[in-house]
Amino acid sequence: MTTTAASPAPPIPAGLTRDQLLELYYFMRLTRSLEEKLVNLYRQTKVVGGLFRSLGQEADAVGSAYALDRSQGDILSPLIRNLGSMLVQGATPLEVLRQYMAKAESPTRGRELNIHFNDLERGFLGQISHLGDMVPVMAGVTLSFRMRRQPRVGLVYVGDGAMSTGAFHEGINFAAVQRLPLVVIAENNGYAYSTPLFRQTAVGHLVEKAAGYGVRGEQADGNDVLAVYQVTRDAVDRARAGEGVTLIELLTYRRKGHAEHDNQSYVSREELTAWAAKDPIDRYLGQLTGSGWATPAELSAIDQRITGEIDAAVALCENEPMPAPGTALDGVTVTPPRAELEWYRRLDG
Amino acid sequence: MAEITYLEALREGLAEEMARDDRVFVLGEDVGGFGGAFKVTEGLQQRFGEDRVIDTPIAETAIVGAAAGAAHMGLRPVCEMQFIDFISCAYSILTNYVATARYRAGLATPMVVRGPSGGYVRGGPFHSQNPEAAFLHTPGLKIVAPATARDAKGLIKAAIRDEDPVLYFEHKYLYRRIKEELPAGEEVLTPIGEARVAREGRDLSIITWSAMLWKSLEAAEKLAREDGLSVEVLDLRSLMPMDDAAIVATVRKTNRVLIVHEDTRTGGVAGEITARINDLAFEWLDAPVKRVCAHDVPLPYAPTLEDFVLPQVDDVVAAARWVAKY
Amino acid sequence: MAKIDVPMPQMGESIAEGTLSKWLKKVGDPVKRDEPIFEISTDKVDAEIPAPAAGVLAEILVQEGQTVAVQTVVARLETDATVSPQPAAASPQPAAVSPQPAAVSPQPSAVSPAPPAPPAPPAVQPPAVQPSSRPAAQQPSPQPPGPSSLEERLRTKSSPLVRKMAAEHNLDITGIPGSGLAGRVTKNDVLSFLEAGPKSPLPTPQPPVPGPDGVRIVPGPVVEPWDGDRVEPWSRIRKLTADHMVMSRRVSAHVHSLIEVDYTRIAGVRSRQKAAYAERGVNLTFLAFIVSAVAGNLRKHPVLNACVMGESTLYRRDVNLGIAVALDWGLIVPVIRHADELNLLGTARAINDLAERARAKRLSPDEVQKGTFTITNPGVFGTLVGLPILNQPQAAILAVGAIVKRPAVVQAADGSDSIAIRTMGTLAMSYDHRIVDGADGDRFLADLRRTLEEFPEDAG
Repeated sequence: MTTTAASPAPPIPAGLTRDQLLELYYFMRLTRSLEEKLVNLYRQTKVVGGLFRSLGQEADAVGSAYALDRSQGDILSPLIRNLGSMLVQGATPLEVLRQYMAKAESPTRGRELNIHFNDLERGFLGQISHLGDMVPVMAGVTLSFRMRRQPRVGLVYVGDGAMSTGAFHEGINFAAVQRLPLVVIAENNGYAYSTPLFRQTAVGHLVEKAAGYGVRGEQADGNDVLAVYQVTRDAVDRARAGEGVTLIELLTYRRKGHAEHDNQSYVSREELTAWAAKDPIDRYLGQLTGSGWATPAELSAIDQRITGEIDAAVALCENEPMPAPGTALDGVTVTPPRAELEWYRRLDG
Repeated sequence: MAEITYLEALREGLAEEMARDDRVFVLGEDVGGFGGAFKVTEGLQQRFGEDRVIDTPIAETAIVGAAAGAAHMGLRPVCEMQFIDFISCAYSILTNYVATARYRAGLATPMVVRGPSGGYVRGGPFHSQNPEAAFLHTPGLKIVAPATARDAKGLIKAAIRDEDPVLYFEHKYLYRRIKEELPAGEEVLTPIGEARVAREGRDLSIITWSAMLWKSLEAAEKLAREDGLSVEVLDLRSLMPMDDAAIVATVRKTNRVLIVHEDTRTGGVAGEITARINDLAFEWLDAPVKRVCAHDVPLPYAPTLEDFVLPQVDDVVAAARWVAKY
Repeated sequence: MAKIDVPMPQMGESIAEGTLSKWLKKVGDPVKRDEPIFEISTDKVDAEIPAPAAGVLAEILVQEGQTVAVQTVVARLETDATVSPQPAAASPQPAAVSPQPAAVSPQPSAVSPAPPAPPAPPAVQPPAVQPSSRPAAQQPSPQPPGPSSLEERLRTKSSPLVRKMAAEHNLDITGIPGSGLAGRVTKNDVLSFLEAGPKSPLPTPQPPVPGPDGVRIVPGPVVEPWDGDRVEPWSRIRKLTADHMVMSRRVSAHVHSLIEVDYTRIAGVRSRQKAAYAERGVNLTFLAFIVSAVAGNLRKHPVLNACVMGESTLYRRDVNLGIAVALDWGLIVPVIRHADELNLLGTARAINDLAERARAKRLSPDEVQKGTFTITNPGVFGTLVGLPILNQPQAAILAVGAIVKRPAVVQAADGSDSIAIRTMGTLAMSYDHRIVDGADGDRFLADLRRTLEEFPEDAG
């Protein structure tokens, strides 16, 4: 059966190329698949500590990170649901796996867990568990851009919970009054652990808080990767032009518990089902194929590639050792370079 | 070369480092146009520009956090806490983020957090604190406390040049009361982690720092005059790292130790020093290690109350006599 | 072919156990890697657990419904491929209970958790220094028995530095005088001690003995013989004397008063009476006069004839005068009983007799007992003045100094002064100021002098 010449694919929005569209898909799928692999490893006791999924938030993380310009040295600071952001900035599945499995070769040498690691060259500064702290820190990072007259931009993620902290408040206020090139993305995924939004804040929408700091506020559908990209890109461009801070609220949803050990009993099944229907990857798949920007075969090939990459990374590192105990004493400060061994350990020589 | 005050020496050190290294910048409340609540940074903004002397909102967490971010990127920030009592507002980011950055993430964080500490000025509980004990046990931070004008200058320069985060606790009572003639034509640098014997002696050692150095020296004079006692006074200057070798040397020399600090007794750094002496020099002790500290109360405002709570020269003299007689 | 363990996972930091709620495979079923093989249920979450490798479910070790601790092996898989060994077993979760620290302590008193051996005894107080050799006739100690007091510990243990110095020089701390707190030996005490005396090997430690009134006796210095020295162990009499002297000095508040007596008159009486006494077989000495005068005056000054009994003054009824006799082998004090009832002749005779029998070692035991006052005569050797130690428990003792001719000022009847040659001597009395005040002693001596300077011609 022949068809008439198919209507031309609609123009790709947001100034992206087709390769870039595929890249966006790649990063979203990579995020999800890597996390699924991590879940398995966790249930096989190969991952120590907690495991935090970003199921349902892949678009918010990937789309926003993608809007930064790595060639200009833009830097982002992720939260725990921003594995996708880190992958966009060049973090590798191997590094992430090593982190989760506390391997000696992990980027933090086994000192910090899950995705709390950084590479300022590649452009990501890992968080610490104290929510909100990364906002003043990223204000400082962007302060250095301004002081050195560099056209670089910083991006920091906060959740609906982190926006309640004093550190968030102080950090965004300082960045705002200093007109620093900082984009603040508030991922509103509905819950901070078990605390729903209406118990976290009295505002109806997080974007309303922007007015309180005298900064521009934007809101977008966090499960639409292209919309996320667009709104973030605009904010990044404004920051680079010296127009200061933008607070972007991305509306999304956390489809798993706070961590793998949280069974989300506080969430109704209806709510979960409703949001599953708005799954960002499914939507994007629909957009890509529906608009003719990509074929199912291309996308399937990407899936395969991802599976291969992840399996290879697992195979490479899963039997690597954890750090040698004595290495715990290294590198607290530059001088001295090593902490003292406790005396009772020296008794055996 | 003329005498300068402790405060002027601190300012000189800051200015020298800012001139020498344009990565150094200052941030804090009222530090720019106003020159700082105590005028430590007076003139710096005029000289180095608004870019390098930044007036911040009242936001200690942001001040410290931003300093950390800037330090990661290779700058050398010097944060001011208007009164060191407000450093506790930044306790979390200092101890959880800044102190751990190198260890957990290999992140360079060469920054200084400085501010006026100490009492004897009728400042009440929130303008008189000595917070060193709160940070001593957090690995990753360095702590210095100069007592002389020379060390005020030498230690701020050393702190700025240090690759690790440094807490610099200057003492407001000493700002304008201590004067010294600093050597001309030579760079004044005090190594971090090195103590100084402020007064040599044979019979008893007083280990101390900051404003208590001066009270200890006065007490030593009195003890020499009235009791014929020869008292050695060791100015630690750095609390982290602490000069264990100097502490052991003075214990070996006099065998009797009195630790004098302005902070409260319980959990104060004297306990740590005593434990170190016990670890490293037990066999050299001819008397128990005693300490002179503030009473375990929030610092009260009324002069009669403050003078009672804080250590005075006579307290040091009485305690030294007890240790000497043991 | 290799067998792989499948453990119960930990779903959450504080989770310590899980229940195997359902097996999704049976023994013998093939499984693919990551394929769910069982379900678990914990406090926080239920989960499907995937197979760690491809293979066959070989063993089921935990049944449905069973609750087991995290990390318990619930099943085993048989795999085809050569399986690389399991990586170092995933260590317990970071929040797991920290292991008990191994109690590596050299001290025997270390407290270890669940020790296999019987628990060590609690830290023992440093043992009180109480070796077997305790002096006889030990007064009951005021200190309670058992662990020593702070004072004891300070005296025996002192400080770390002093212990170190003592060990280095092989010294006994208790043998060094202490100037520190509670008599503690300080560093300077040790240094002074080392400067003063030679280094000596560790002798039998002298225990610090509490005296009868709880006063602490400080043992003497440690002495070492040098080449050529002669060591003579003490005789019994020497030992008794030594102990007595030290005890006396420690017990009594010794005060000494001296008075000068003009014996010219007595000298005259003696020279005139000597021959007559000799016919009676008695050697009339100056001492006889003095003893006689003392005996009489003690009646008038009873506190000099008393002793301390607890917290009372015991006034003796009898006047029994002890006369110290220097023998070749030591000192002995025979007693003239009821000396106040003897005249000069009787006194002189008694003195002669006791001295003679003392030298011949023919004194009976009760002739050296029950003295109430002692007279000693160092002047017989020419000694100008002696300051004797009280003969316990007596409250007073009189030392007779040498009687010699000396120029003295005499006042003529018309009041004019001139130098004359007089027979003079000093009397020195030691007395116990606990019961004899200065005035008592001086009054007695004044009376004694008067008696002696006005001695009647015909006392015999």
